[in-house]
Amino acid sequence: MSTVKSLTYLIVMLCLCACETVQPWERGTLAKPEMQWQTDPMEISLQAQINASKEASSGGMGAAGGGCGCN
Amino acid sequence: MAIRSAEKHSTLLALTSSALLLPAYQAARADAPPEFVELGVRYSKYEEDNTQGSKTFGGSSQRYDVDVAQFHLLAPVADNWAVAVDMQWEDMSGASPWFVGESLDGGSKVVMSGASIEDTRTEVSVTTRYYYERGNAGLNYVRSDEDDYDSNAVALDGSFNSADGMTTYSAAISYSDDNIEPTQGSVPTNTLKADKDISSVFLGVSRIVSKNAIVRFGLSYTYRDGFLTDPYKFYDKRPGERNEWAVNTGYRQYFPWPNGALQADYRYFDDDWGVASHTLNLAWHQNLGHSIQVIPFLRYYSQGEAQFFANIADLDKRYFADDYRLSSFGAVSAGLRVRYEMGNWAITAVGERYETDKNWGVYSGEESPALVDYWRYSFGLDYIFK
Amino acid sequence: MAVSHYDHRFRAMGGLCRLRFDCDGGAVARAVVVAVEAEVQRLEKKYSRYLPDSLTSQINAAAGSAPVAIDEETAGLLGFAQTLWQESGGLFDLTAGVLRRAWDFKSGQLPAQSNIDELLPRVGWHRVVWDRESIRLPLPGMEIDFGGCVKEYASDCAAAVLARNGIERGLVDLAGDMAVVGAGSVAEPWSVGISHPRRQGAAIAHISLTEGGLASSGDYERCVMIEGKRYGHILNPLTGWPVQGLVAVSLTARQCLVAGGSATIAMLKPEVEALAWLTELGLAWFAVDSTLTCHGELTTD
Repeated sequence: MSTVKSLTYLIVMLCLCACETVQPWERGTLAKPEMQWQTDPMEISLQAQINASKEASSGGMGAAGGGCGCN
Repeated sequence: MAIRSAEKHSTLLALTSSALLLPAYQAARADAPPEFVELGVRYSKYEEDNTQGSKTFGGSSQRYDVDVAQFHLLAPVADNWAVAVDMQWEDMSGASPWFVGESLDGGSKVVMSGASIEDTRTEVSVTTRYYYERGNAGLNYVRSDEDDYDSNAVALDGSFNSADGMTTYSAAISYSDDNIEPTQGSVPTNTLKADKDISSVFLGVSRIVSKNAIVRFGLSYTYRDGFLTDPYKFYDKRPGERNEWAVNTGYRQYFPWPNGALQADYRYFDDDWGVASHTLNLAWHQNLGHSIQVIPFLRYYSQGEAQFFANIADLDKRYFADDYRLSSFGAVSAGLRVRYEMGNWAITAVGERYETDKNWGVYSGEESPALVDYWRYSFGLDYIFK
Repeated sequence: MAVSHYDHRFRAMGGLCRLRFDCDGGAVARAVVVAVEAEVQRLEKKYSRYLPDSLTSQINAAAGSAPVAIDEETAGLLGFAQTLWQESGGLFDLTAGVLRRAWDFKSGQLPAQSNIDELLPRVGWHRVVWDRESIRLPLPGMEIDFGGCVKEYASDCAAAVLARNGIERGLVDLAGDMAVVGAGSVAEPWSVGISHPRRQGAAIAHISLTEGGLASSGDYERCVMIEGKRYGHILNPLTGWPVQGLVAVSLTARQCLVAGGSATIAMLKPEVEALAWLTELGLAWFAVDSTLTCHGELTTD
């Protein structure tokens, strides 16, 4: 649990570091498909499901959602 | 009124900050519903390698094969809404580990379930999403059905952008109610009928670092309650509760000169069963002209064993499991995704190889003889109604 | 979908304007052209002192009487003009326009000092009474003129229209003041020419623009030789006489408006002072002095 706490602290500090404001018309790059958090939702959902059924960890970037029959 | 003469830096700063007060420079509405209806289908094939002959009683055995079909529909509704419908059909067949036993030479070997398992799973998910001035909120329902298992889950999520549009805060909660009714026949089961439920909460923040880079951070907690044991495994008895934590961070950066983007994601997972893991995902998204994207990707995974994991189960202990999925191992997967756009259509093809090895992991523990390797191929078609 | 390049010319803001952008759909491209032209025309109709119905004309007509109500956009521009006035030591002054009544450049004659002295009491931003809701010019005959910043502001507004419509690579050129939307790779910058002060249609330098805005200010079109001395059309609001300054200035900044305001300030200062001010400002700049010598590092030539 303390590893979780340390990592949380470190990452939050990194995120809060001062970043220059990016103007609205400079945000074109951020709208590109390769700059999205989820470039291919069907692919991500398939990978997440396979991994959760073959490994002991799951989740991370959202609430856990539905269960699968992979006790 | 006195007129000041300007210092060099403060002149530019004064002019810029004064200009930024104008409405034209205010953050444009960052959150908007999709403009067009999108449709997508995928077909995937998942094939596990046969087990290793030296680690299996009865010699090398076939393992699992799964065929998956996915369907995706996203449509804007009215001015501020969107609806997404996702469906999935899976056809599973093959053998899976039944238990691990001690072989004559003192090592551990896996016994596979002899007869072939055949099962089909159907899943339907519906999400309605509402877009407001600085964010959006979604309500999702998922129903999953297979011969021996069904699940109903709901989730609520929301996100909110800061005034300057540089930071997005998000949160989600979910609840799922699952019922297990193991198929009787090929192997004796640990239960005839049972249920479990899963509750989860998530908090996240994402931030624009520069015009070419973004970073995000997330924290999730999941609580599982009910029948968590694998009903088809001979020696398997797990606690009735599980508390899980995960810390996740992600980074995306675009590089103008090669016209490509780096995607990196890391997750640390920890639970009260003694399992901890590191997951690192890397992908390079390379654009070739305006129609083709080539995306090689790599994943490294390392998990530590559950407290009650042992290849040879000690039946006097309160909990025990010889399931390789609760053992300590490392896994590396590498793959390539290619996407080709022509007009409103896009074709996607993916190939991925996943291999596990006890020595690739950073955690100590017993090596399970049933570690799995697999190939996965996917082929997809997308259409956008412009 | 294949990306096509669109090049649309139109007349606005007293000159020839050009809109260039990459887009992958004919319908979207047409909508974008319409939206950009509409936005530029909206600003012209609102701020042009030549149109009797414009907000500027209404404010000027009410000089010496009641305040005129203004919106957030106008308040923002007035605030920016005030900053320019402060940072230029009073040289940039929205009320200086009335002084042109004393100067008839076509006649080739210098005005009488008394003509200028008559107008000076009506010049001075410090006399203007304004807040975020309204503006009042207290003396009859006072005038404000947004001409010094509207074109540059319009360039930024037009670029925002492109960005809002998902255009990733575009350039808006409003008679020499331009803003780009440049999400494309640096391998595809826009190459723009800076007009030669003396040779019409020719460029004195070319620069590569990948982001932000470029604004230029120059008096090459309207200066006149009187009694052997060159007189430009840029008037010092404190004296009423033309500035003996640079012949042309161009600057790039993240906002075309900031580049334009800075260019105007540089043109208002005496040559030597202007070059020193530009050097210290912190923006990339290019200038031509009265001997046609080029200064600054903006050019890639």
